[in-house]
Amino acid sequence: MTSKKSTAAWRSLAAVAAAGLALSGCTNSGDDTASDPGSGNDEQVVKETENSGPGCTLEKYGAEKLDLKNAVVGFSQSEPDTAAFRAAETESIKAAAQEVGVKKLITTNANAELPKQIADIQDMLNQGAQFLIVAPVNSDGLDPALAAAKKKGVPVLTIDRKVTNEPCSDYVAFLGSDFYDQGQRAADELATATDGEAKVAVLLGSSGNNVTDERNAGFKDRVEEKYPDLEIIAEQTANFARDEGQSVTEQLLQSNPEITAIYAHNDEMALGAVTAVRAAGKDPGEDIKIVSIDGTRNAVQAIVDGDINAVIESNPRFGPLAFQTAEDFFAGEEIPEDVIIEDDSYTTENAEQDLGKAF
Amino acid sequence: MSDGTATATVADRSERSGTRFDIDWVRRNGVFVALGLLLLANVFLTENFVSTGTLRLQLVQVAPVVIVALGMALVIGTEGIDLSVGAVMALAAALIPLYVGYGSVGAIAIGLVAGVVVGLIAGVLVGVVGVQPIVATLGLMVAIRGVANLFGGEIKSIREPGLVSLGTGDVAGVPYVVVIAAVVSLVVWLVVRRSTYGRQLVAIGGNKLAARLAGLPVRRVLVTTYVVSGLLAAMAGILLAARSQASDPTKLGQLMELSAITAVVIGGTPLSGGQVRILGTIAGALLMQLITATLIFHDIPDSTAQIVQAVIVIGAVYVQLGRGKARRS
Repeated sequence: MTSKKSTAAWRSLAAVAAAGLALSGCTNSGDDTASDPGSGNDEQVVKETENSGPGCTLEKYGAEKLDLKNAVVGFSQSEPDTAAFRAAETESIKAAAQEVGVKKLITTNANAELPKQIADIQDMLNQGAQFLIVAPVNSDGLDPALAAAKKKGVPVLTIDRKVTNEPCSDYVAFLGSDFYDQGQRAADELATATDGEAKVAVLLGSSGNNVTDERNAGFKDRVEEKYPDLEIIAEQTANFARDEGQSVTEQLLQSNPEITAIYAHNDEMALGAVTAVRAAGKDPGEDIKIVSIDGTRNAVQAIVDGDINAVIESNPRFGPLAFQTAEDFFAGEEIPEDVIIEDDSYTTENAEQDLGKAF
Repeated sequence: MSDGTATATVADRSERSGTRFDIDWVRRNGVFVALGLLLLANVFLTENFVSTGTLRLQLVQVAPVVIVALGMALVIGTEGIDLSVGAVMALAAALIPLYVGYGSVGAIAIGLVAGVVVGLIAGVLVGVVGVQPIVATLGLMVAIRGVANLFGGEIKSIREPGLVSLGTGDVAGVPYVVVIAAVVSLVVWLVVRRSTYGRQLVAIGGNKLAARLAGLPVRRVLVTTYVVSGLLAAMAGILLAARSQASDPTKLGQLMELSAITAVVIGGTPLSGGQVRILGTIAGALLMQLITATLIFHDIPDSTAQIVQAVIVIGAVYVQLGRGKARRS
């Protein structure tokens, strides 16, 4: 009898575990890109025209003046540094901290888990962090951590992903790329590569992710507006991953042999698509034009090799800009709510000479 | 058809339980019926579906899942579970670029050994120490993924010609990956049906205490089973890396434990152990692959695809639970 009972318990346990696994799959978020090590250099430039919102000052925020040179600064990274984007971002923050000469830089990595990031931030506050740079795991849900920082009077600067909290109250400002604009520019590049006429398959990033949504909306809106002969015939998620980019593209090439172009929301999926196109006996970059977003070393190299046609950059090197913004803020200057950076692009014309800028 | 059913009494019982006979038939054969129907529907309704290219692609994509699921079927046959398979795949694949200097054969051997070692740890934890399988392999799943990340680091390209041809080459039009999966299937099928080990495995899964009292080598069989699962997972990881010509320790094999368990369960192997259904497992993997392909061919959004897959898994488990009740009554 007991063995029957334990069997039933065991079964339900397995079901719970399976559900847990399924859920953990959904948290796989963000812009996970990776390439062989070695990151180049390409400093971020602020897009002057897009500095938006009312400015935030030290007084308005209610923080005290701080000399970064003698300060303890905390950096909370969202996702593992095995992804090239994250590696380059962390590296850039560390280098800039050293340049500025802060007393101590504490870095943590939340491994894509929101509860861990909240704990990380609280830990850093306990360790005496006086200024925080946070790459949020998620747009929502950081409230307890931001509240704890506010209570201690520690200003928080968010980078690369915007939170939905109140700027200049819960956090100082947001530094990052305009993902919608990246999507629009990807459409422009795809139109250039195909002379404005193509049957396009889209490899989407993870669902329920603002990067995916904005890169998709920007692309679609621009196509609708300007390129009537770019026809989007399939849209499938490949979760920002290279192997899924490959397997999904393989299926799409079978189901829609007429595909002549692929737009991938990140470089990794594009690189997977290159492998798939080649396996299907076609020439990537020629028979099927490919455009993606990020600017990883591998993808830019693929442009040089003629496999990818263009890559819109999403610059991960937030260090210098983040510390410059912090210095301005503590010097009493007004900081706009959104500091949007200017992203470059890599095409067949500049890929070779700009390979060093890729991350 | 019914591979390695524990004893004749199982069949007897289901016949005795009269009204439950139907659900039992569904459990045994539902996966084949579903696979046949979906295949037929695609032949008539899906554009560009009927082609050797499509067939070949589905077989290539399903091959690693089949290999992992066969190991999982053996483990589940012992009333266990192995959640570490996805991480083992990542570990084996992560080692390939590091040791490719020893040639492709050397690198593959090292990857396979890593799988055996992890399987050995799982087997000892479960069979000798007596840790519950779900706990032991859940711990390993997390730990081994960490080890894979530690060794592997960032995603690395694989350009060694031997490995690339393993992943993309073929014999007489049949991709190596598919040939390997077929050979593994045949071997596992023979082992389960014909070998002493196979019979012992099924007996242990059916009733561990009775098996022990009967003098069967319970520990040895359990350890061997987890080692086989680890070895097969490592093999699948290497094949997947060779096919994509890249090794990504963070993502490779992610959620593979779920795919493998799904294939086994909808293939009719009960989670309560005592049976291993090889053909059912292969059909289960093929069915999930065909569902994925169907949804992509019809450009159905990912969120819908996930719901469809969940409904199928829950349906399969429901059928199993129905059978569980029948056994108890």
